[in-house]
Amino acid sequence: MIERRDVFQAIADPTRRAIINMLAKEPLNVNAIAEGFDMSRQAISLHIKILEECDLLQIRKQGRERYCQAKLSQLSEVSVWVAQYRQHWENKLDKLETYLEQLKKQRNGKQKK
Amino acid sequence: MENKKSNTADRELIITRTLNAPVALVWEVWTQPEHITNWWGPNGFTNTIHVMDLQPGGKWDLVMHGPDGTDYNNSSLFKEVIPFKKIVYEHVSNPHFTATILFEAQGEQTIITWHMLFDSAEQFIGVVKAYKADKGLEQNVDKLELYLGQKISGKS
Repeated sequence: MIERRDVFQAIADPTRRAIINMLAKEPLNVNAIAEGFDMSRQAISLHIKILEECDLLQIRKQGRERYCQAKLSQLSEVSVWVAQYRQHWENKLDKLETYLEQLKKQRNGKQKK
Repeated sequence: MENKKSNTADRELIITRTLNAPVALVWEVWTQPEHITNWWGPNGFTNTIHVMDLQPGGKWDLVMHGPDGTDYNNSSLFKEVIPFKKIVYEHVSNPHFTATILFEAQGEQTIITWHMLFDSAEQFIGVVKAYKADKGLEQNVDKLELYLGQKISGKS
């Protein structure tokens, strides 16, 4: 099975969300990132690799160091989708609003144009 | 230290609306099955309510009938019911979430606040993603809405 990498997959994991939060403040090298977590450097490297594949960070080589930099613009895709889902619920309120208007008119026995 | 707000911010949705109707009417329309079927669910859907036992622990089984004939079962349990003020229900079928609806009387108007709390950020993201995948369906629904709008305005 081929796994499709996308931004949702990137942020579905709490460690990866934490890494993005760290990198949102400043670019860091892999060691500095790994120090912030109670897990192996190898595990952190794997998370970084997934984030890179999902296009949420880019890695720059500086001498012998690999610096990770967040590409936050990609995250807006998620907020757009959340907004769409939100609209789904807003629609429910729209319908409630319309129905209330109908009902009020019915009960008042008058029709407004 | 995390406070309560930051604890749920990544797995909740809050929408608020001022409705142009007194709280008694809004409550009636929310709590009586014959009214709910008229506005619940996405545009173009119809609903059948099999059970609506509005009391703490009471069951609420609602089936939404999609425009393409697909049925969507929605099973919930009421957790808290304070007449004219508050309804809390747990949506036990997929997707799992807890909804809190607050009614606030403002003279002839009512402020309704709808709060959906999902189990985890992971689950919430999954729900949002699944919804995005359903967007194609949504467009059909929009068309149907237009059609229905014409029918309704033709009638009144």
